[in-house]
Amino acid sequence: MCFKNLPIDFDEQGNAFLKEGVADPYEYKVVDLGEEQDKLKSLLSKNGFIRNVDYDPVTRVAGALAFHSVVDLEKRKVLSTNSMATLFRGYEVILKGRDPQDAAYISSRACGVCGGVHATTSALAIEMALGIKPPPLGIVMRNILLAIEYLYDHPLHLFLLSGPDYSEELVGATNPEIVAKAAKTAAKNQAVHGYKTILDIMKDLNPLKGKLYLEALSMTRVAREAYVAIGGKYPHPQSVVPGGISVTVTITTLNEVYTRLIKFFDYGQKVTGIWDDIFDFFLECDPEYAKCGIRPATMADTGVWDRPDYYDASFENCDTWGNARWATPGILIDGEVVTTNLRELNAGLEEFVEHSYYEDWNGHPYKTDPMGMPLSPNHPWNKDTIPKPGKQSWRDRYSWDTCPTWDRLPMEAGAYSRMYLTAKAQRAPASKFMENTGHSMKINVPKHTLPETTLEWSIPEHWNAFERNRARAYCIPYSAMVAMENWLLAQQLIREGETKVSTPYKIPKKGTFIGFGAWGAGRGFLTHHLIVDSGVIKNYQIITPSTFNAAPRAPWGAPGPYEEAVINTPILEKYNQPDDYKGIDILRAIRSFDPCMPCTTHIMSNNSDHVVSREVTTCACGIE
Amino acid sequence: MESSERVLVGTVGYHILRNHSVGPVLLPKLKQQDWPAGVSVEELNWGPIAIVQQMQALPEPYERVVLLVAIERAGRAIGNIDLFRWEGHLPDETQIQACVGDAATGVISVDNLLVIGEYFKIWPREVLLVDVEPGPETAGENLTPEVEAKVPVILQLVRRLAIEGAGEQDAIHPLRGDTLFETGTYNYGESRH
Repeated sequence: MCFKNLPIDFDEQGNAFLKEGVADPYEYKVVDLGEEQDKLKSLLSKNGFIRNVDYDPVTRVAGALAFHSVVDLEKRKVLSTNSMATLFRGYEVILKGRDPQDAAYISSRACGVCGGVHATTSALAIEMALGIKPPPLGIVMRNILLAIEYLYDHPLHLFLLSGPDYSEELVGATNPEIVAKAAKTAAKNQAVHGYKTILDIMKDLNPLKGKLYLEALSMTRVAREAYVAIGGKYPHPQSVVPGGISVTVTITTLNEVYTRLIKFFDYGQKVTGIWDDIFDFFLECDPEYAKCGIRPATMADTGVWDRPDYYDASFENCDTWGNARWATPGILIDGEVVTTNLRELNAGLEEFVEHSYYEDWNGHPYKTDPMGMPLSPNHPWNKDTIPKPGKQSWRDRYSWDTCPTWDRLPMEAGAYSRMYLTAKAQRAPASKFMENTGHSMKINVPKHTLPETTLEWSIPEHWNAFERNRARAYCIPYSAMVAMENWLLAQQLIREGETKVSTPYKIPKKGTFIGFGAWGAGRGFLTHHLIVDSGVIKNYQIITPSTFNAAPRAPWGAPGPYEEAVINTPILEKYNQPDDYKGIDILRAIRSFDPCMPCTTHIMSNNSDHVVSREVTTCACGIE
Repeated sequence: MESSERVLVGTVGYHILRNHSVGPVLLPKLKQQDWPAGVSVEELNWGPIAIVQQMQALPEPYERVVLLVAIERAGRAIGNIDLFRWEGHLPDETQIQACVGDAATGVISVDNLLVIGEYFKIWPREVLLVDVEPGPETAGENLTPEVEAKVPVILQLVRRLAIEGAGEQDAIHPLRGDTLFETGTYNYGESRH
């Protein structure tokens, strides 16, 4: 029994049913956010230390995110937060009425980093809807492609976007006492990364000039080169199609990938050593840092990396093939696994728009999933995207992001959720490269120029900004080893003559078909829900990791993950006057999620070529 | 038509945004031309960081770069063509970081390309921009009639600049990184192509 809030029960055979005797099973309370705003307004007028702090845009994140907070600079507390996606992402509207074969290419453009992930998720949704099972080599090559995409994404975040928050330059401006201490603190992992002191590392984290910053840029090239050997191009691959991939794979292809992949064996060791040193140092410096960005480990992940002997694309078997993945799908609530089944993960999803610039929709066409599990009217298969730009108000609507929940709980998503669930659930296949212990993941990294080693990521006691980034660092060797495992499988398949990479299919011109793709971006959870009707897309719904993480308040008032994490963040920055306050602790908390607000979105309104995204006002100044 | 110089003609801009996509739309026409041996024609939409890395790896650097772009600027009519010369001068480091962040996360922008290229010192002494006024951003595959009518002029200008470089007959506006992100109306004077 995984649902506590949705009215779904299970009989003795495990069949789900809607609880009986409930008048309106999916009703929910909508609270008035105005009361909180009235209190804040009163505080702001009386106390000079209580201030509005707005970041618009939040820099060093992908895309358009703004963040509003009210802080008490005397008590060093955050009093209120609002997360705002400031641009409309209209792919759901763009895809309506189109040929499903185009979905992978169009949805890929939803992100300039994770294009391949969107393309694959789209392919998976179509495969489920139309019953297309890719051949083993097609599945394995998609796995390698995904792992490589992570090897591009994680260094980018750790050193270009989030890393500068821990650099000598930025820390020196907000907490000079930490820099002084760093100069006297030896780095524990010097043997791996070569840095003698913590300050030496912090200097090389300096943006633009630091060696670690520049090295990460060069590693993105290594990953891109490996990626294009399979995907044709990056970030929008040309070879990901429903039914597999559309490029011939030979031993030469695999060798081209391998010569790049092995560079991440050493790099994974180095990166985990660096971030272990930095985060251990900060937490030892001031244990209060453990509260930066803290929230319960309540997370969702779709799982990724299909096993060719399990994946058949069917909805009926999705729990089986989902649980067979190298990264286990599921839901964590306060650090405990409540399900690893994709059907339950799917059935618990809802999206709410009470505080977003969308109109509510009518109708509940899919009351159950194809096997009878109840679905809410707010489930993606039932949702319609109806944009409605309007006035920004903390009392009412303030974001283009929706509020997705699972079992009515705001969920966090991230690369780390993938590793946390996999380590905890212990469902992933036995592997010579990875071992899941229930409290940690051991990663056996082969030698390249550094000797072979076993790295171990342990589930932390507190889930905070530092642990998000630490886990993300460990996702580099984790992803590299999954790529290696699949690379060996690909070699074996080619040796055995299993060189087919795709399964042909046709889009039926009659009938209705539904499916969902469950895959993972660099930032975690990604689903595409699809309905094909009479040969075209009737409905398409995308939930990205940042849809979860950047969510505004739920109708019943629960804050979204960014909002909750920042509310819980103590202000540890040093300042003499309120005007000197920079907000580094808040920004560390937000950036630890690796925000990715799909941007550069353009949508044509009916019967015109007008671009809607330009109408949106994002400035937070003067908003109620 | 012989040229011993190594020249890169590059197009920058999103696809399917009508006049804003003048580079991608005209790229096939540029590629079809019979160019001297030293001239390469490339789409430069695949990320400033990747472009920097590719140019750093070239055995011989380019001596001139000509970029075809379409940037909406106040005070111009749709289809106006202006010629800019990149003069370097970086913006502050926060702005450079923002450019790198945007570039690495997929944003296509000529400003980012120029600044990041400057920071990593990939640009030759002569970087010229042929900038066509696109007007407000609208969606669509084709150019509007105002810009379509200018296509021969655009192609001719790009070709001449690539082969000969800018001459005395060209009215060239300076473009600098330290003022690139300032808002305001630029005085284009009377010179237009």
